[in-house]
Order: sequence, then structure tokens, then C-alpha cells
Amino acid sequence: MIYKHQRIVFWCLVGCILLMATLLFLERQRGRERILSIATQMPMDAVAASTEPVTLDLANDADGSISGQQRQMALPVDSNARARALLDQLVAEYALPGSAHPLPQGSAVAEVFLLPLPVVGYTVNPAAPPLEDGSPATSPVASATPGPGPVNPGGELAVIDLRSSFVNQHPAGVEVESLTLLSIVGTLHANLPQIEQVRFLVDGQPRETLAGHADLLRTYPSRDTATPPAAQH
Amino acid sequence: MLAATCLGQTPASPPAQTAPQPAPGPLNRSVIVLDAAHGGVDGGSRIGDSTLEKDVTLALAFRLRSLLAARGFTVVMTRENDAALRPGAPGTALTLDDRAGIANHARAAACLLLHATGTGQGVHLYSSELDAVPAEAAVLPWLTAQAAWVAQSAQLEAGLGAALKRAGVPLVSSRASVRPVDSMTCPAIVVELAPEDDDRAGINDTDYQQRVAEAIAGALVFWSRQVQPPPRLPSDRAAAAGAQP
Repeated sequence: MIYKHQRIVFWCLVGCILLMATLLFLERQRGRERILSIATQMPMDAVAASTEPVTLDLANDADGSISGQQRQMALPVDSNARARALLDQLVAEYALPGSAHPLPQGSAVAEVFLLPLPVVGYTVNPAAPPLEDGSPATSPVASATPGPGPVNPGGELAVIDLRSSFVNQHPAGVEVESLTLLSIVGTLHANLPQIEQVRFLVDGQPRETLAGHADLLRTYPSRDTATPPAAQH
Repeated sequence: MLAATCLGQTPASPPAQTAPQPAPGPLNRSVIVLDAAHGGVDGGSRIGDSTLEKDVTLALAFRLRSLLAARGFTVVMTRENDAALRPGAPGTALTLDDRAGIANHARAAACLLLHATGTGQGVHLYSSELDAVPAEAAVLPWLTAQAAWVAQSAQLEAGLGAALKRAGVPLVSSRASVRPVDSMTCPAIVVELAPEDDDRAGINDTDYQQRVAEAIAGALVFWSRQVQPPPRLPSDRAAAAGAQP
């Protein structure tokens, strides 16, 4: 004998189960659509970037030489990103066991900025009408102590912002520090010929030396730094 | 006839007026600057297990000072103790720019920046990497003041190298950008002392250091007689005053 109230409870429970099943199904569908919408914004496969030959100017502490060596790398299109990828690869080679110019592991370069030469600043121009977004108009201002202009049209200054974690662990010595800087300059020159000058910062600030010796305040001319072994007599 | 003779002796064109050559700047031939690199909390590079670069550079500087003083030189040292302190400001560490300032005020015949390393062998000589300019301007950019002295520095490097070679010391001669060489207005050379052989502890060998110091001191005697400072261009104000009748 099944009482009436028991039947009512039973059918209420059945209704709740069906309602919950429907809700679960709808939520599942909604979540699936959300995941699919995110997935469509991401590349489904790795970018089939073709590698290209690059030249790394690799230093050798044993004889003080720098030699250009070919590697195959997939490089970004953007020049700033290319420069940084090249330098990351260069430092990664130096961190390998058995390197001829051993350097600490880890990321050395925080950022690379490429600036058109001659370098100019900008000042607010009150005479000009404001821009569309409401910000005041600016006009270029030459430096009070202008540096050398570009040798060729389109020449650029590369500002390399090194990480202090890399600089603080760099081996000290005139030769070992000079080789690191010249290796960087030579690698940029070999692969990004529009770079004519190179400057260095550490954590965004000027610093006198790399590890007590090599000059980091100087503007280095971009050039082929591949050299035979230092003149030893 | 006389007039014709005189006319015949008259030069066809006036002699070409040559611009006066700028005079060389002042130079104290008997003064040598020794900059024992690092000091105090800045120990420089570690050579072997227990040797710091700052101690080797100071030891070599003292050896050189004795030898140079015996040869009649006045030696200006940027530091004579472990810590490099700014003169007249006790407790204030000497900056690299201060060291260049001391050297520039001395107008020395040679400025030697003494460094030491555990890598390589013998003595490494480095001169500035700046491109040479033919004359010293009245006002010099601080970071490229050495440019007018690049030729003299190269000559000094060659002289020191020859002397070290004669002394049988392994030698590496090159160019490098080492702070604060590019800010110096004197023939400036980085002298980096490395062990004579594979034994890093050998960098403290007194006989080896003495041999290096004697070779350098001997070369500086010869150098002080032959060094010629670069011509110094007059300032715009002085040139304008000289042009007035």
C-alpha cells in the first residue's frame, strides 16, 4: 500500500532529478562553448616558423679571440624581438658545459630597444592642437649633447638592458668582460645590419662597468668583432 | 735695368701663409700616475682561492713606485691603502671618475692602470679603443677625453711591450674599453698582471712581480724623454681674443 503523500514525494524527487539533469546538461554545454571560443583564439598547432641561418660571434677565453659561427634559428619578425632572441641564444651557448667563454646560466637580457638615429627626445608643443585622444601634441627635440648621427639612412641605436642577476655573476677581468661585450656587438652587427651603435643599461639604469673593468657607459660602434687570437708574444 | 732686375726678383705670387700650429698642452715628464685598481669593498676579481685582485694591484703599485722614485720620477698614486678614499673626504670611496680626475690634474707622462687576473699568462696591455683625433680640444667630452692621446698611448703600449718582451715576460697586447681610461688626458695603459704560468698562486711571486716592475720602470725612463703631447686647440674665446687687432 503506497500512501498518497509518498507518491507525491516520489514524483517531486523525480522532477528534481530531471531538473538537475537538465541544468547539468545546460551548464556542460555552456562550458563547452566557452572552452571552444577560447580555443579558437589560440593557434591549434605550433607556428611553422622556418629557421634561418644566423651568425653568432662566439668568444674564446683561451686565446682572446672571437669567431663567427653559423646557427639555424627561428626568429621573430619584429626587430626588437629578433635582437633579443639572438642575444638570448648567444648567452645560452655560453652557459653550456664546456663553453670556451663560460657565463652564468639564466636570462641575461631584459629588453632590447632599437631607436632611430639620431636620437631625439620629445617635448610638449603648446602651439600645436592636441591629438585626437586629447593628449597634448609633441615635437622632437635634439639632445643637448648630440651623439653621432646615422652613417646610413635608417641607422639605429640598440639599447640593451641587461639583467643585474646576469651582470652581478659575470666573471671579472678585462679580457673576459670585453669579450662578452664585443661578442654581443658583433652578433648584432652580423644579423641586424641596421644597428650602427650599441649602448648598455643594467636594470634600466646606466652602470659604469660590467664586472669592474669593461666600460658600460660607452656607446659602442656596431662592427664586425670577429678577431684572430690576441697578439701574444 | 735696376728696376727690371728688381722686378725680376719679385716673386710671382705671395708666399703661402701657413696657419700657426697649435701648441702642445702642458706635460710633466717626470710624473707618472699609478692607479692600483679596486680597493676597499671592491675586491676585483678573485685569483685562485685566496688572492684578491685589489691586493695584487696594490703590491705591484708599491714595487713600481719604489723603482720609479729611484729613477727620479714623481709618482702619483690613486690609493696607497686597501681602501680607495677620496682625498679630503674621509669615508667617501673613490669613484672611477675621481681616479681619472687625479690622473688628469697631474698632466703625467704616463698613466698606468694596474689590474690583475687569474686567466691567461704574463702581462696583458690594453690601450683605449677610441678613434684617435689629431688635437686636444679646449673643452673635452669626459667619456672620450682620451681620443687625443690615443696615438701616444699606442706608442707607450708598444714601448712597454718591447721592454716586457726583453724581460722574458709573456705578453698580450690589445685594445679594450676599460673604465676610466677613456676619460684620461695622458698616455694611458691598462697593465693587467696574470700569473707567469699555469699556477695561479704564482701571481704573488715577488721575483716575478719585481721583474715586471723593473721592465716597466725601465721603459718609462725612455718614454719620458720621447713623449710629445698632442697639440691643444685654443678655446673659442682665446681664438677670438687673438684675432682682435
